[in-house]
Amino acid sequence: MIHAEPAEMTRLAQGQGFLSLRGLTRRYDHFTAVDDLNLDVAKGELVAFLGPSGCGKTTSLRMIAGLVPASSGHIVVDGRDLTGVAPYKRDMGLVFQSYALFPHMDIARNVAFGLEMRKVPKAEAAQRVKEAIAMVRLTGREHHRPAQLSGGQQQRVALARALVVRPSILLLDEPLSNLDAKLRDEMRTEIRDIQKRLGITAIFVTHDQMEALTICDKVVVMNHGRLEQVGTPHEIYEHPKTAFVAGFVGRINRLSGRASGGVAQVAGITVSAPGFEGDVDVMVRPHRMVLSTGPAPADAGLHQLSGTVTRATFAGDILEYEVEAAGTLLKTEASTRGGEALLAPGTPVTLSWRPQDTFVYAAS
Amino acid sequence: MDERPVSPALKIAAGLMFLFLLAPLLVVLPISFSGDDFMAFPPSSWSVKWYGAIFANSVMMNAFWISLALAFVVTVLSLGIGLPAAYALVRLKPPGAEALSNLFSAPLLLPTIVLGLALLLVFAPMGLIGSFQGLVAAHLIVTLPYAVRVLSTALANLPLTVEEAAGMLGARPLTVFFRVTLPMMRSGLVSTTALCFLVSFDEVVLSLFMTGPRLQTLPVAMYNHVDQQADPMAAAISVLLVVLTLAVVLVVDRTAGLTRTFVK
Repeated sequence: MIHAEPAEMTRLAQGQGFLSLRGLTRRYDHFTAVDDLNLDVAKGELVAFLGPSGCGKTTSLRMIAGLVPASSGHIVVDGRDLTGVAPYKRDMGLVFQSYALFPHMDIARNVAFGLEMRKVPKAEAAQRVKEAIAMVRLTGREHHRPAQLSGGQQQRVALARALVVRPSILLLDEPLSNLDAKLRDEMRTEIRDIQKRLGITAIFVTHDQMEALTICDKVVVMNHGRLEQVGTPHEIYEHPKTAFVAGFVGRINRLSGRASGGVAQVAGITVSAPGFEGDVDVMVRPHRMVLSTGPAPADAGLHQLSGTVTRATFAGDILEYEVEAAGTLLKTEASTRGGEALLAPGTPVTLSWRPQDTFVYAAS
Repeated sequence: MDERPVSPALKIAAGLMFLFLLAPLLVVLPISFSGDDFMAFPPSSWSVKWYGAIFANSVMMNAFWISLALAFVVTVLSLGIGLPAAYALVRLKPPGAEALSNLFSAPLLLPTIVLGLALLLVFAPMGLIGSFQGLVAAHLIVTLPYAVRVLSTALANLPLTVEEAAGMLGARPLTVFFRVTLPMMRSGLVSTTALCFLVSFDEVVLSLFMTGPRLQTLPVAMYNHVDQQADPMAAAISVLLVVLTLAVVLVVDRTAGLTRTFVK
């Protein structure tokens, strides 16, 4: 149990969020899984922890849940320091990737378990279980065993079981990763609807950028145990702070260049690079590069590169191209909205994009 | 288990194997219904008198009740000791858990005759020979390794997340154990019970060292009986023991599933 000094308590109390993580760290013998994580989550927010496997997002969630002890740092919920408090006293709901339902109990008893632990009177508990099961659209399945339900249904039971106790925070650990693609999309929206309706604060751990961008209020991008960027989905996508975020969230084209005096020279063109000196990586999202044939559209405001189509793929909604320009392979795509035909490989083309779609990072 | 086509050669080999295993029963069963006063195969006449003789034989009946009580006590103690031991080894993982777990199975590697001799040397000065307590202790040495093994496997196969989920819902560790962990270990518990009961009930070698003239287990009484007279009563008892074993195995199969329990 870690006790905060009075001065520390003041600092903790100053946290803005309903949930505040202060310097949260988890060290193992040979590596640091989570390194000095600081985060504030407002009441009612749905926040995604996004990153590749091994980035520390699940360890962070398990530290919040109390299932993994923090090596240092604090977890504060609603002004109460929960660091070192046992999981069963934390009053949080956790939904696992593997559902983790009690196989020897029927659905109703699974959902009732948390209420039973809290000694909620029988009649009230029965009413709340009924409502929770109705909320996840499983009325009529009360007396089925978990093994008799599909994966999606089991995950909805897990959600009802976690929410029926009205936890202070809902934690979701890759809840959709075991479901097939179509079900995943449905469940994603369903989780978001329920979370909004109940106004519950929630953390959603995922490696899937689509899940993070589409349903979350805020996205926390992590890599190698460190926080890379926190922001709204729009900020993360349009203004990635690091090369990692730019590459992990959405697709990206990468060009190498050199910067000096506030501008960078890359592939024969000049882009704005204030504050950079030396080698830089210049990145542009494929679909922001507009492909045109014939003479380049004269627009001084756009960055332009000439190249040749090396690979063309028809993908239905879009046409995918690989273009060789200035010795680099760049991906781009074109809409088929007007019934456009696929360009043949070897066609000379021009790629144009807006300066604000250009991201510049110090070369790694 | 997946069903794959079985070649005729394999079927024949399996059939011969079963015949070999069942051969003793094929001899014992007819002899148990013998009307003769001595063991002979095939019997010259048929009767059920030797089954009646068992129940009239006070030595055999005494030995049966002692074996039953012994198997019951040994099974309860094996579960009571084996379960916490398995939990500690698998869930709490103390340093050296692997080595400890191997050490606990060590008695199974020793020939029981060696164990019996060692126990005789240790127990005799303590006055435990010919006592019920001595028998319980001796049988525990062979049943505990089975109990710890089977329960450890059952526990290790449980998904930890289910127990974590119970904890997150407000269940204290002890509540999690009794409400979630233990019910999920049901098949492991049933098979441990069956295994310990049968091992104790059938144990001969250790019991021979431990029993005295006033305290005999059924297998020891049978051994002594066969040693002194060659009547077909031993065959009748054997058939009853086979029936008892079969009954236990059927109960396990019905409640927990045989392959699930013993194979995994």
